[in-house]
Amino acid sequence: MTTSVSLRGLRRVGARPAFLDYLVSLWDYRHFIFYDAQARVQTGNEQDRLGRVWLVLGPLLNGLMFYLIMGVILKSGNGIENFVAFLIIGVFLFQMSTRAITASSRVINANKNVIQAFQFPRASLVLAVNLRELLSNIPVLITMLILIIVLPPSEEITWRWLLIIPVVALQFVFNLGVGLILARVVSVFNDASQLISYSMRLWMYASCMFFSIESFNDMPTLKTIMEYNPLYNVLDLARETLLYGSAGEWRSWVILALWSIAALAVGTVVFWRGEETYGREL
Amino acid sequence: MGESSELNFVEGTPSVVIDKVSMTYKTTSRSRDTPASAGSTWQMLKQNLGRTTAVSVTALKELSLVVEHGESVGIIGRNGSGKSTLLKIVGGQIPPTAGAVYATSTPVMLGVNAALIPGLSGDQNIILGCLAMGMTRQQIDDKYTAIVELSGLEEAIHMPMKSYSAGMGSRLRFAIAAAIDPEILIIDEALNTGDAQFKDRTRKRMLELLGQAGTVFLVSHSMSTVLDLCNRAVWIDQGELLADGAPADVVKYYRLFTQRLADGDRVGALKLRRRMINDLQVADVSDRNSLRRSKV
Repeated sequence: MTTSVSLRGLRRVGARPAFLDYLVSLWDYRHFIFYDAQARVQTGNEQDRLGRVWLVLGPLLNGLMFYLIMGVILKSGNGIENFVAFLIIGVFLFQMSTRAITASSRVINANKNVIQAFQFPRASLVLAVNLRELLSNIPVLITMLILIIVLPPSEEITWRWLLIIPVVALQFVFNLGVGLILARVVSVFNDASQLISYSMRLWMYASCMFFSIESFNDMPTLKTIMEYNPLYNVLDLARETLLYGSAGEWRSWVILALWSIAALAVGTVVFWRGEETYGREL
Repeated sequence: MGESSELNFVEGTPSVVIDKVSMTYKTTSRSRDTPASAGSTWQMLKQNLGRTTAVSVTALKELSLVVEHGESVGIIGRNGSGKSTLLKIVGGQIPPTAGAVYATSTPVMLGVNAALIPGLSGDQNIILGCLAMGMTRQQIDDKYTAIVELSGLEEAIHMPMKSYSAGMGSRLRFAIAAAIDPEILIIDEALNTGDAQFKDRTRKRMLELLGQAGTVFLVSHSMSTVLDLCNRAVWIDQGELLADGAPADVVKYYRLFTQRLADGDRVGALKLRRRMINDLQVADVSDRNSLRRSKV
């Protein structure tokens, strides 16, 4: 027996909306994104006695470790003006990307129960994670600035310090874009999450966190590759504006801006195309 | 299925169309088909490495249903028969392996599975859950008191979810899920958790929602619930549709089936099962506007 029905007026359940509709629905879920981010900042370190102090203490200890190994023992900071501040900017800012990208890549698995319980645009979870990282990093950034002022040789505060805001904003956009791509990749191929921490470490070395790019003068190809690395440009621009009294090269700004916009555009499309698959059990 | 040329026109627009949906899970199994025999070192090594083999489990065989406005469909069957899988697919929580579900609006699952975030307090979870369902802040403010009241949590609402007992957690989840008035409602059986007082309250709220909803899917092990609340019943066994019809008839055969199984009369039960499948008229869904089908 064939039952003939008219599907007019019916929509496929769980169907992926058109791209523009998807963006609109993300906007409609902005309250959800903000609330989720905010609530999770509050509870992020709840099990620890020191609670949110760890947000600052973490990069501080990390920086101290790199200072001991790189600055005191290996003396990789030779020839770098104000190496302590140079290192602090590198460690603090790079960690923001590491945390945001790692957390984004795990977001689908970590929220599988929420995904299965409610129908909402899944990209809002990645947005919320990145927003959460940004919010919880505000005290970290303030600590960074205070350390640069307090630790000798103390730096002069100029109007250029305000340029750290667009630098962090571009970094946020870039993290979000990469996070969207990796969230999809890990949801399809879970093993990729194992590789992320190694890749991030490699990336850290390629971003001149604790040495100057001048040390690669005799390897021009590698140096050029590093100069196009978006996170190198984040650190470079932050150092130029905070430490070396310049607004940074326009070339660095352009490279970083292009990377950020491209990452976000590619990430949004890639993530959107997988929209129907995120509820699936692995 | 396709051999018969009989054509059954469904008048008007249906509310939910389940079109040849099937579900296969891929998982791992530690059972080995070959017994530990040959005894070569290589085989021993392979076994000791604890290799699990990939197997696929069929949770739901190809299944089609057409449900119209005003129908409340009770889904019955033994444990592990695929009832919950079917509900999850209809609700859009998991995508089917093949086939598709079409509906006039997004079906809403009312259950105690609406998982929330353990680190957050009850009231934060209420707001987050409601936002995730697409409610506006204004709507949430309007309903907040009713949700807290339905959950019966009182002061505990400000404590983190992880400090709740299992019963408290499911009460809160139910209360959140019941906050919206959906057109297509899916109800999972587990509502029978909780003490008598809560049962009364959930039942009341459920009946309210049932009255408002256009279409209802209800999974239950309680035959009286199905007889009370449904005007159509569907019997699923081992992922296969066995019967579809008036609740009284379907429940009658289902009871006969489980009775025979309980008596150890497997042959009799299987005979009944086969007869049910033979008698069943399977709906082979075809879209009248089939040219547009692929674009939906």
